[in-house]
Amino acid sequence: MKKDIAVRFVGSAGDGLVSLGLLFGKILKMHNYNVLGFRSYQSVIRGGYNSYQIRFSQSEVLTVGEDADIIVLLNKHVAKLHQPLVNPNAMVIYDDEFIDLDEFDYPKNIVKLGIPLAAITKKISKLKVLKNIVGFGAISHLLGLDVGLIKEVILEQFGKKGEEVIFTNYDALEKGIKFAEEKSWLPMWEKHKYGKARQMIISGNEAIALGMLSAGLKFYSGYPMTPATSIVHYLTKHLPKLGMIVKQTEDEIAAIGMAIGASYCGARAATGTSGGGFSLMTELVGMAGIEEIPLVVINSQRAGPSTGMATKTEQADLFQVYGASQGEFPKVIIAPSTVEDAFNVGVEAVEIAEKYQVVVIVLLDLYLSEMNATVRKLNMERNNMRFNILENPDENYRRYEITETGISKRTIPGTKNGMFFTGSSERTETGTSIASTLAGLPDTLPIRVEMVKKRMRKLDCLVKELDPPKLVGPKDAEITLVSWGSTINIVKEAILHLEEEGIQASHLHLKYLTPFHVDEVEKILTNAKRTMIIEQNFTGQLRDFIRMKTGVFIEQKLLRWDGEPLVTSQIVMKVKEVMKNE
Amino acid sequence: MSEEYSLSLKDFESSFRPTWCPGCGNFSQWRAIRQALIDLEIPQEEVVLVSGIGCSSHMPNFLKVYGLQTLHGRGIPVATGIRLANPKLTVIVYGGDGDIYGIGGNHFLHACRRNVDIITIVSNNYVYGLTTGQASATTPVGTITKTTPRGSIENPLNPISVALSAGATFVARGFSGDLKHLKWIIKEAIDHRGFAYVDVLSPCITFNKNQTFNYFRQKVYKVEDTGHDTENFSGAMDLGSQIFIKDKIPIGIFYQIENKTTYEERDFALNQGIIPAQASLDLTEEQIKIITEEFY
Repeated sequence: MKKDIAVRFVGSAGDGLVSLGLLFGKILKMHNYNVLGFRSYQSVIRGGYNSYQIRFSQSEVLTVGEDADIIVLLNKHVAKLHQPLVNPNAMVIYDDEFIDLDEFDYPKNIVKLGIPLAAITKKISKLKVLKNIVGFGAISHLLGLDVGLIKEVILEQFGKKGEEVIFTNYDALEKGIKFAEEKSWLPMWEKHKYGKARQMIISGNEAIALGMLSAGLKFYSGYPMTPATSIVHYLTKHLPKLGMIVKQTEDEIAAIGMAIGASYCGARAATGTSGGGFSLMTELVGMAGIEEIPLVVINSQRAGPSTGMATKTEQADLFQVYGASQGEFPKVIIAPSTVEDAFNVGVEAVEIAEKYQVVVIVLLDLYLSEMNATVRKLNMERNNMRFNILENPDENYRRYEITETGISKRTIPGTKNGMFFTGSSERTETGTSIASTLAGLPDTLPIRVEMVKKRMRKLDCLVKELDPPKLVGPKDAEITLVSWGSTINIVKEAILHLEEEGIQASHLHLKYLTPFHVDEVEKILTNAKRTMIIEQNFTGQLRDFIRMKTGVFIEQKLLRWDGEPLVTSQIVMKVKEVMKNE
Repeated sequence: MSEEYSLSLKDFESSFRPTWCPGCGNFSQWRAIRQALIDLEIPQEEVVLVSGIGCSSHMPNFLKVYGLQTLHGRGIPVATGIRLANPKLTVIVYGGDGDIYGIGGNHFLHACRRNVDIITIVSNNYVYGLTTGQASATTPVGTITKTTPRGSIENPLNPISVALSAGATFVARGFSGDLKHLKWIIKEAIDHRGFAYVDVLSPCITFNKNQTFNYFRQKVYKVEDTGHDTENFSGAMDLGSQIFIKDKIPIGIFYQIENKTTYEERDFALNQGIIPAQASLDLTEEQIKIITEEFY
């Protein structure tokens, strides 16, 4: 029996794919399965071709899988488009009163599971979307799911809509099950006693929002841009209970500007966007840097350049954020890897920003932002502390005092005797600009030198506080795979497959890109037998970045830039090819 | 706070002396802002002066308050963030015509409609000064500058009409050559509930030989002397459109309405009296329950 199953819903925008996927995810997690779901979609509001794939198992689910075991076709249009992607052994569920699979030349060996979804639905209700629930019924028979648990989830989801809605949904569910039973559809998994589970299923964007909230986020501003927008949606939804400000602005410049203002004023603040919006924010990133105002900026990367492919994933903004804004100033870049990690980075980013008075850039990507995964308990009950804020300054207070760590205590507007001037120009320790009447004077030159050194020292301190990257897997592995960000578990799964085929691979995954653990990375890579970079971009940005930082060149590369997440088999194939060619 | 208030003009001066050209229109605004704050008995630590880039934007350097100079055109969004994080503060944006009408024009529009209770003062000298004399958004047609050596061929922006159309609830114009009147306007602007905007006719004595102190002195007249009703929107639009069209330039408070709700009054958190900058950082058990319920 298979240890995991992948189900793919295929439909058009407007078919309710996302809510369908989420509901299904919740039903599965209630059955104590680990779940991972990801939507592949287009930038259209109605019509088009979208799919939602969900994979579940009692053990850890690393990827959504490549081939779907069960495919659910929601309309005729997509049935045709999806033909090339059908696994020859798949079970295909479809409304056989509207769709004839032979017309589209579907593989011969598939198990055709026709069910008159529309006709069954019509007998229950006028609501067409209810056919999704009828479909669920049929699938739950195949998966041996527990009707009682499914009903519990339905009650939780639709409870507020009243009894009639609940009972119609129950009816639809039961009719679906009954149909599958009567047609003697062969279950893939036997029915068994399920332990009821209370874990969360959550997206990367929601997780980072939760992380930031747990760390005391009090201000978030943003301008809508896929794939970062759902952070604002989530925060806004709960706004009345959070006692914070969430602000949609006129553009991304205002979004970062407001967040900087709020942070200067003492509120923990963040803003978020994708690469295009980040381009607009860039100048103010530098300002926050020189004014030493704490700030978290989330860049959820999508396929570029320019508008690129708005609904597709990529990891090609590393150099954009690394080089963001003119001049040199300390900037922290963190790339979370999983949904759970996104939560942790949310907490960490807010804390580092305040503690070091720096801009922390979080590099998400569409794949991580939008994947839905079951997670273990997230630690949201925290005792947050404030860092480096002076409440009772004396007359000698200097906002930009030169210190060993580079960090100077700041005062918050409203604090008596704490008044100071700060500007986007270089300055003295008290904040006075040295760019106008003091510029170029002999006494001014050392001030400039020390100010730059003071700011840059923060990174030397911070790097010691961060967990250095570790090599996972055997030290003498035949190949070391190097990756960053959302691809972590795809690589991990590939390594498991390689192991099954007798190839030992190890994994170096990078999370902190600035500051960078130069010595640790250099040591791991120079000790490796073979190295291969795995990234979702064309040029191999991390590969170049590592070479720039350590001088080590990673010989082999696997790059993907078509907008879809990497898949395990690609990595396995590439590794085997590399080994064979030697 | 009034019992012990004893701050003087000197108290509001920083140790850094203004770097403007002697005779610059910004000097009287430097004084008018301080006087208005003193008249209203506002403590220094409760004032945040935010500026952009340009000659006038150097202002926060010279005042002993919380002073924040941002980037060219970006004073308004930063000030908005400050005010929303702590609505107890008096937040003043100060900048020039290039800064607020040109590169920051988008923010200006949205600040007017948003009605966040901040004050925006624009030192309008009809030219770019710090970059040594180029045309600005308010430069009249035909004006010769370094970037318009054959005369400007663009129509100037009428910021008063723009602010009124965009929904500003306090729209006024002052003149650097009339300190007493200017101070009164700024005081009223600070006192106003909602977004207050003051355009200040402020000659650039180095790069603008047209809009000089003399030029303005001959043309300005005070709208309060004409019995203008400050709640009359179309009357205000009419006054706003008079610049460069008629020989006379109106100054004074053109429009002021107090009955429009401010952003702060409409915002969920601020309306409950929450000060985000000072609120507890820890989520309560109840909050955690509410924000995670949908994930189960």
